[in-house]
Amino acid sequence: MPQMGESIAEGTIVRWIKKVGDKVDRDEPLFEISTDKVDAEIPSPAAGVVSEIRVKEGETVPVNSIVAVIGPASAGADAPAAQAISPGKAAEPKTPPAPAVKAPEPPTPTPQADGSPTAAAKPTPEPPPAPPPPKPAPDQEPKPATESTEDLIRQRSSPLVRKIAKEHNVDISQLHGTGIAGRVTKNDILGFLDKGAPAPPPPRPATPAPSGPTFKPGALDSVEKMSPMRKRIAEHMVLSRRTSAHVHSVFEVNFSRVAQAREKHKAEFERAGAKLTYLSFIVKAAVDALRAVPVVNASVDDDSIVYHKEINIGIAVALDWGLIVPVIKHADEKNLLGLSRAIADLANRARTKQLKPEDVQGGTFTITNPGVFGALFGMPIINQPQVAIVGVGNVEKRPVVIDDAIAIRPMAYLAIGYDHRIVDGAVADEFMSHVKKTLESWDPNVV
Amino acid sequence: MASDYDVIVIGAGTGGYVAAIRAAQLGLKTAVVEKQKALGGTCLLWGCIPTKALLEHAHALKIVQHAKEWGLAIGPSVSIDMNQVQTRKDRIVTGLTKGVEFLFKKNKIDWLKGTARLTGNGGVDVFEGEKQTLKARKEIIVATGSSPRSVPGVEIDGKRIITSDEAIHLREIPKSVAIMGSGAVGVEFASIFRRFGSEVTILELLPRLVPVEDDAVSAELEKSFKKQGITSHTGAKVTGARATADGADLDVELADGRAAHLHADYLLVATGRGPVTTGLNAEGVGLQMEKGYVKVDAQYRTNVPGISAIGDVITLGGPGHPQLAHVSSAEGIIAAERIAGQEARPLNYDHVPGCTYCDPEIGSVGLTEREAKARGYDVRVGTFPFGVLGRAKMAGETEGFVKIVADKKYDELLGVHMIGLRSTELVAEATAALRLESTVEELIRTIHAHPTMAEAIGEAAHAVHGAAIHL
Repeated sequence: MPQMGESIAEGTIVRWIKKVGDKVDRDEPLFEISTDKVDAEIPSPAAGVVSEIRVKEGETVPVNSIVAVIGPASAGADAPAAQAISPGKAAEPKTPPAPAVKAPEPPTPTPQADGSPTAAAKPTPEPPPAPPPPKPAPDQEPKPATESTEDLIRQRSSPLVRKIAKEHNVDISQLHGTGIAGRVTKNDILGFLDKGAPAPPPPRPATPAPSGPTFKPGALDSVEKMSPMRKRIAEHMVLSRRTSAHVHSVFEVNFSRVAQAREKHKAEFERAGAKLTYLSFIVKAAVDALRAVPVVNASVDDDSIVYHKEINIGIAVALDWGLIVPVIKHADEKNLLGLSRAIADLANRARTKQLKPEDVQGGTFTITNPGVFGALFGMPIINQPQVAIVGVGNVEKRPVVIDDAIAIRPMAYLAIGYDHRIVDGAVADEFMSHVKKTLESWDPNVV
Repeated sequence: MASDYDVIVIGAGTGGYVAAIRAAQLGLKTAVVEKQKALGGTCLLWGCIPTKALLEHAHALKIVQHAKEWGLAIGPSVSIDMNQVQTRKDRIVTGLTKGVEFLFKKNKIDWLKGTARLTGNGGVDVFEGEKQTLKARKEIIVATGSSPRSVPGVEIDGKRIITSDEAIHLREIPKSVAIMGSGAVGVEFASIFRRFGSEVTILELLPRLVPVEDDAVSAELEKSFKKQGITSHTGAKVTGARATADGADLDVELADGRAAHLHADYLLVATGRGPVTTGLNAEGVGLQMEKGYVKVDAQYRTNVPGISAIGDVITLGGPGHPQLAHVSSAEGIIAAERIAGQEARPLNYDHVPGCTYCDPEIGSVGLTEREAKARGYDVRVGTFPFGVLGRAKMAGETEGFVKIVADKKYDELLGVHMIGLRSTELVAEATAALRLESTVEELIRTIHAHPTMAEAIGEAAHAVHGAAIHL
């Protein structure tokens, strides 16, 4: 089971693409997994014949467990020494000379996996509906309780530290860095190694989501286990509701000028291989507003407010099997064309299960688009540890009053869900007014 | 002038004046007490700046001496006018000391001229003519520095038996100079005097020149000095020295035990520097001292609350606190920031770059091969000669090399040692690499521009891993 990210402790085999006896080329999809962060097809680390499958579909195993053995193409079954997939490299496996899929022992300790108490404060959000539930047992937490979010953001280290970490299979994110801005230094990691092997990852809480009322399924009901993604979504949604003081505010936005801009430049964008959608304009407007009202681009860490320097916009993408929120990194550095491309690329990769763990991390603000399913507006739940989310309603022509006359304009409702712990109503409305103003005064000639 | 300050710095050398500027930048009302007529201390007035100015003169002369090779037509003979050398050097020094004065004005730092005496409880008396009484509300920083120090049996008279303080002012070119000690001061003056035309003899007690450097660097310098006509006696002990009317007579015990007598126009004593605490009343206020140095902790606090000390005058306990301008400045900044309430990160003294401006010049940082082995590292080294590089050939300076010392286990960069053209500049890259905890591979993957002397660093890194490209 490959390590798909530093904070992922386990994964579920959803489907075996190859069966025992099947020939497989290097980098050919071998099986499909579902983890806390992403669902992904895992390419084979080597060419050969699948001689043994050890983990059945639907089973969940810790990362670095052996899930299958690939034998030499000719010999078939008895693969001798199993070959390791090095942790963290699963996405781009090396070709081992002796082909066989195994994982190295001891497993990289990843105590932050789901459920670490710091996880809720960690500003690398999981795909929204998917970050970890709060952990009930902080005793085994390897990080000092005083560590701030700032320290966690900066998992900085040095080339030497990374080299040492690699050799000793240490997850650098576990270390407390004493260097400038929390940089993990040589002394930090050597001190950590001196103290002996780190504690094993704490056991996952069995059912972190608060249990609802108990009931017995009736004879005619059909019972189906939640997929890992569904479970994550469930946990995350409940966690968010419990964490943030949700308040919603709805604005109506006149999209006339954006519609003009879109009509005017659609063809041009198509020639450049991009699709100019309303969403691109909304992301752009949101980026500008986040810059103007930075507390909306923030996180809460205990009694501190962490203002994010980067503006990374998560875009909720509905999938047949759930929901995922890939992130447009450095959205503030992109123009409309760049944003359009990024949105299309992320959505496309989300639907084809090609997202990498980093694609769904680091978001600082989220936009969701219930309008595409016809909703007038939605009341979205915040994607922790962010503090605001905007839901875009359906853009449709409506009669509106302009200068005491009734006119027909493309209108939409934009609803913001914000965390009243740090964002007050006036601030949220200032942010939304900024978005509204940007969209309504868009110069149709400029994209 | 108000007599109450947040911070009073005693000494306006590179430690003191930098500490004062940093303190003032952080909003502290700051004064500096300095007894000299100009700011800048040893570095600006007698050390780094004037000696390197003289070395640039020597370098200019070197180019002219090789005019024919460069295709330059210059009169039948070449000579150097020492008066003009001194005038130019003094102009450089004055310009820089005025620069410090300007920085004081800009940062509203008061310069109190005179000698400081600690009186306890934050008090400082300043004597020059009449006494001024000052009080430090937060902290006093002692940055009184060091001065040249002789050894028993050799008395400095300032005329024929001299130190660097006098040597920088010489307006004649001595026919012969004997130099005791081959640290930075000794070998720099050896290069200056030899280039100007003096017969130079170096007497070093230890078995090799520049003893703090890597063995290979010492050997290369010795080879080059020999070629330039500088006589080096290593393992040689000066047992006595007498100034005469026209020079100095020396009794020397050579490495092989033979006794020798030497006469030179001047004897330059470059055997080290000792702390300056005269008149400070350090013991009087209870400062803990160690062999004359003020004892401090890693944040430069003395044992007396409210008194810190930095620079050449301090010891951190244990041997070898480096007496270097840039170390004093770094310490001054740390002390000032700590006093202003900021987090103070201790210096890593293994990462202090050292620059020696002899010809060929030396730049080094980190552990020597010998030190690395002594610390138990599984040492790998890589060396690349400058002479192979186009840039070195163009400059006509093909001596020297870059040597990298690394740990095999983690590919950790431990030290970089170089001798040759621009080594004192090239060491900056190595210093940053050490500071950032680089591996050798990172250096290999770092692009080194062509044609530069810096290519030798990348090549030496390659050599650590097996083989350099251009060798």
